[in-house]
Amino acid sequence: MRGGWGALMTAGGVRSDEPAVIMVTALSRLLRDGERVFHGVASPLPMVAILLAKATHAPHLVYINISGGIDPAPSRLPRSTTDPALLEGTRALITLADAFDLSARGELDTVFLSGVQIDARGRINMSAIGDPARPKIRLPGGAGSAFLLPTANRTILWRTRHDSRTFVEEVSFATGSGKVDRVVTPLCVFRRDSEGGRLVLESIHPGVGADDLVARTGFALDLTSIPTTPPPTAAELAALAHVDPEGMHRIEFA
Amino acid sequence: MSKVSSLAAAIAAIPDGSSIALGGNTLHRSPSTAVHELIRQDKRELTLIKTAGAYDIDVLCGAGCVARLIVAYVGFENLRGMALRFRSAIETGQVHLEEHTCASVIAGLRAAVQGIPFMPLAGMTGTDLAPGRFHAVANPYGGGEVMTIPAIRPDWAIVHVQEADSEGNARILGTTFEDALIARAARHVFVTCEKLVSGAELARQPELTTIPAFQVDAVVEAPGGAWPASCAGYYNIDEAAIGRYYEMAAQATPEHIRAFIAEQVEANQCAAVGAR
Repeated sequence: MRGGWGALMTAGGVRSDEPAVIMVTALSRLLRDGERVFHGVASPLPMVAILLAKATHAPHLVYINISGGIDPAPSRLPRSTTDPALLEGTRALITLADAFDLSARGELDTVFLSGVQIDARGRINMSAIGDPARPKIRLPGGAGSAFLLPTANRTILWRTRHDSRTFVEEVSFATGSGKVDRVVTPLCVFRRDSEGGRLVLESIHPGVGADDLVARTGFALDLTSIPTTPPPTAAELAALAHVDPEGMHRIEFA
Repeated sequence: MSKVSSLAAAIAAIPDGSSIALGGNTLHRSPSTAVHELIRQDKRELTLIKTAGAYDIDVLCGAGCVARLIVAYVGFENLRGMALRFRSAIETGQVHLEEHTCASVIAGLRAAVQGIPFMPLAGMTGTDLAPGRFHAVANPYGGGEVMTIPAIRPDWAIVHVQEADSEGNARILGTTFEDALIARAARHVFVTCEKLVSGAELARQPELTTIPAFQVDAVVEAPGGAWPASCAGYYNIDEAAIGRYYEMAAQATPEHIRAFIAEQVEANQCAAVGAR
């Protein structure tokens, strides 16, 4: 089903045309069965994407987060992604230092990170807009980013805002850079070009116009024969409604 | 030997200008009661150390208690957004930020724990946080270089735990975050706990005691001591209280912050007494 919606589908109040639903399913599909996956603070979409992947195509994925609970089965999904709710049902507990050590020795497969700004080479800025010593806007900081980007085997970036101030040719301050593999936004999926290291389009979400995408991206894009992101399937929608009945995948859009 | 203290006396022992590592992570098991008392006693020129802070760092910045921060993240995650008093303190130059990544805070603390001047750390390439601050050294046993992080030795560690005995043996239920590490790295340790329990109770499962009494200077029973942050097994984040703080903090002066904290703490104590 290319280039259009096909039938609009719903399951448990989840609609297949919502940007949050398209993003969370796109993130989930990037995960592989059996791999070790980590997310940090302020990461509701990765939290839901991991649980969705485990409920669909990746039941043996190893889910690690800052609470330290391995493969938790939370009865409610928290707004804070370091919440004790992410300990529920876990049979093993590690520390954050353990998770970083895992990454340091090359045994952490995939990490989810974000950036207030993301540039054409996948570098992220979570630190400051303007002079870092006396910034115009002081940002929250990158938490684990600067260490995880070069050490984890791959990083998936996500960002719920897609405009030309967010996706820029070059960040003024690189909080971190490294092994970025994919970037998922409300408009598209980028992959990192293996030759030039630049972000290139992998797919454009259903209903997104090419002109709009170009206007809202601050670096050059090649739109030649880019496929449409396959819409969420009925099975994905049902699984999403089951793992996230309260809609935590939507809160980053509020 | 009992190390049970009053909150006021324990905090009075911390001089202005101290460096303090705070336990917990973002809005979980933050040592909030101790933080409120630091503000009430009008501490000045503090250095705060933490991987990922939220309310605790923000309110101390807003109250004018802070000169320097060694942190990797300060924010209210997706409950609210940016930490407004932290942000303002950095933008106006009131507070000097030594921005880290979480793993480099841990590496610096590990160096202090081991009594050495720095700790090697993997990665740290491709970040503008490193140049001029963190230095690579040659690997003396083979080729290549490795980045190093200078030791971070706090004067004080302040942690809030679920259970402790009167001598200061402290038991953390659920996630320990960096609490055990900061308690070993710091020169002095102050513990607040939800509940004082007997030494015999701790002796039944000593492996749960994360911080041994010989490292602890003072212990205070402070039910609700993480509020408005969560304390695993006791209470969740008080999202309404975080919301009230956040709305107030948008424009607040240090005087507003102090008055608000005093009022909220009193209201919360009354509510807690009423619930018993």
